[in-house]
Amino acid sequence: MAWNEPGGNNKDPWGGGNRNNDGPPDLDELLRKMQQKLNGLFGGKPSPSDEGAPSGGASFPWSLVLIVLAVVYGLWGFYQVDASQSAVVLRLGKYHETVNSGLHWNPPLIDNVTKVNMTEVRTERTTGQMLTEDASIVDVVLQVQWHIDDAESFVLRVADPLKSLQEATDSAVRHIVGSQTLNGVISQNRTQVAAETQSRLQEYLDLYQTGIRVDVVNLTDAKAPREVQDAFDDVVRAREDEVRLQNEAQAYANQVIPVARGQAQRMLEEAEAYKARVAESARGEAARFEKLLTEYQRAPEVTRERMYLDTVQDVMSNTSKVMVDVEGGNNMMYLPLDKLAESSASSANQRPQVTPQVIDEISQRVINQLRTEANNNNRRAREVR
Amino acid sequence: MNNNKSLFVIALILIALLVLSSCAFVVKETEKAVLLRFGELVRTDYKPGLYFKMPLVHELRKFDARIQTVDSQPVRMLNSENKFMMVDSYAKFRIVDVSRFYVATRGDERNAVRLLAEQINNRLRNQFGVRDLHEVVSGQRDQLMADITKNLNESAQKDLGVEIVDVRVKRIDLPPEVSESVFQRMRAGRELQARDHRAKGQEASERIRANADRQKVVIEAEAYRQAEELRGAGDAEAARVYADAYSKNPEFYRFSRSLTAYRDSFKDKSDILLMAPDSQFFRYLKDPEGK
Repeated sequence: MAWNEPGGNNKDPWGGGNRNNDGPPDLDELLRKMQQKLNGLFGGKPSPSDEGAPSGGASFPWSLVLIVLAVVYGLWGFYQVDASQSAVVLRLGKYHETVNSGLHWNPPLIDNVTKVNMTEVRTERTTGQMLTEDASIVDVVLQVQWHIDDAESFVLRVADPLKSLQEATDSAVRHIVGSQTLNGVISQNRTQVAAETQSRLQEYLDLYQTGIRVDVVNLTDAKAPREVQDAFDDVVRAREDEVRLQNEAQAYANQVIPVARGQAQRMLEEAEAYKARVAESARGEAARFEKLLTEYQRAPEVTRERMYLDTVQDVMSNTSKVMVDVEGGNNMMYLPLDKLAESSASSANQRPQVTPQVIDEISQRVINQLRTEANNNNRRAREVR
Repeated sequence: MNNNKSLFVIALILIALLVLSSCAFVVKETEKAVLLRFGELVRTDYKPGLYFKMPLVHELRKFDARIQTVDSQPVRMLNSENKFMMVDSYAKFRIVDVSRFYVATRGDERNAVRLLAEQINNRLRNQFGVRDLHEVVSGQRDQLMADITKNLNESAQKDLGVEIVDVRVKRIDLPPEVSESVFQRMRAGRELQARDHRAKGQEASERIRANADRQKVVIEAEAYRQAEELRGAGDAEAARVYADAYSKNPEFYRFSRSLTAYRDSFKDKSDILLMAPDSQFFRYLKDPEGK
């Protein structure tokens, strides 16, 4: 049974490259060897390439078969290695060579050729909940991109390189995550986690002689487990709230301060206006007085008399007046208070209907009036000063 | 005659080939082989290549010479804090001494794997039992693994003819009932952070608003001061101008100003005036000379 071990009874787990051993080789080999023996038996017979064989009908088909078999065997040994591939060649079970792209020939049945794709970048994924250094749990999705770096090791040194890769990845990523805090894995140290996982993973793969080279390790996803995701989301929201509150306050500030500045400007402008008005009216009044004074000084007596009379006339014609010469002593005075009251009340009586609202309105108006008058008086008083 | 002879020869060759095929064997690069003669080990040092044996007398056994895996099931283990954790590990080994391996396992590789798994399990249990969760998860993981590997390698080489390449913990998980309390703790931690953020937001907001309010008051106060200064300046200017003009003839000023005042005071007919006529105010009303 061991005779066809390299061929039919193929236990190679890595597949591919077995084309040479498929199909009819056993039968062909049998026939070929038979032919050789036959030639040996007939000893003195000419070589199979000799066309002019004299030994009649019986030996002729044998040499033809022999030739055909030799050609088939020769052609069968050819194989093609793609640019992306390497082929590991075992000769009688022993490592012979590793060949690269091109057309090659190896004797079938004696040599065993296993082709592997060297350039294809393959992906390995691992996911799961992992413990972190602060005894929290984190959900991690990790992707490893790799290619075969050493075909000989990949084919010959380890029983199941892909399973080894999976196991090494699982172990490496958990080791690295286990030496990080939860926050580190989730945010700050993501790249560091990936890089450290990669170097650790490569270390393991080299130790296991897998012939695999890790191109890149991506920490695709690292987040809090579903069970606590809402709490983590709330932190994100809280962070947004923090910013929002600040922005709102800033908006308030941006509104209040310019308005205050505007109002301040208004106060200043009003003060300027007041200043100008007061000064200018002072100048005006002073000028008026000085002009009048010039005329007065020319004829003081007459002017004085005239001004006095003008004024008295105006005043007397305008007002209801009661003048009491208190110095006069004890004489009784009659003051027509009823009339006075009547005259002062007359304005109010003119209104036919007096409702509470009207009274309110009037009183309001009176108050306002009094207020403005008081203001006017004040101002006047100030002007006098 | 010739045909008969050929058939005979073919039959002979076929038989010869059959015999030959049960004699020859190939040991591959990935294999290790032992040759037994009636159950007795006669040869174990095969390099890869083509070899021959006697059919029926010799028996050939082959083993995988590559690095192989012991993949154990996740096991519950107690740690030093008396808490359970689920530990999933694997080991890589390689047959180095095939004769010892054959003897120890009676030729069955599964036996070897089972024996190794038990030993690894036992050693992990011992190591985990004296350490707490933090130590096995992060602190001493590498060292722990290296210890187990070294220790196991010594005994495995001696007993099984197997070299332990590596022992690794794949995963250390908490059992579900412990996970729940971990999640609760994590959640509490996050709530703490969320509150902190919101409070900080309020703090910043209050600070900005208060600052704005202060600026407003300060701006208005300053403006009030400046406005008052301006008004004062205006008043002062006015007073100076008045003083300059009126001091030229104070007596006439008093007179003319009083007249103006009278006019203004009695503008309306409804005004009633009741007072002593000799008050200072009416000085000029009685007498233009103001005597």
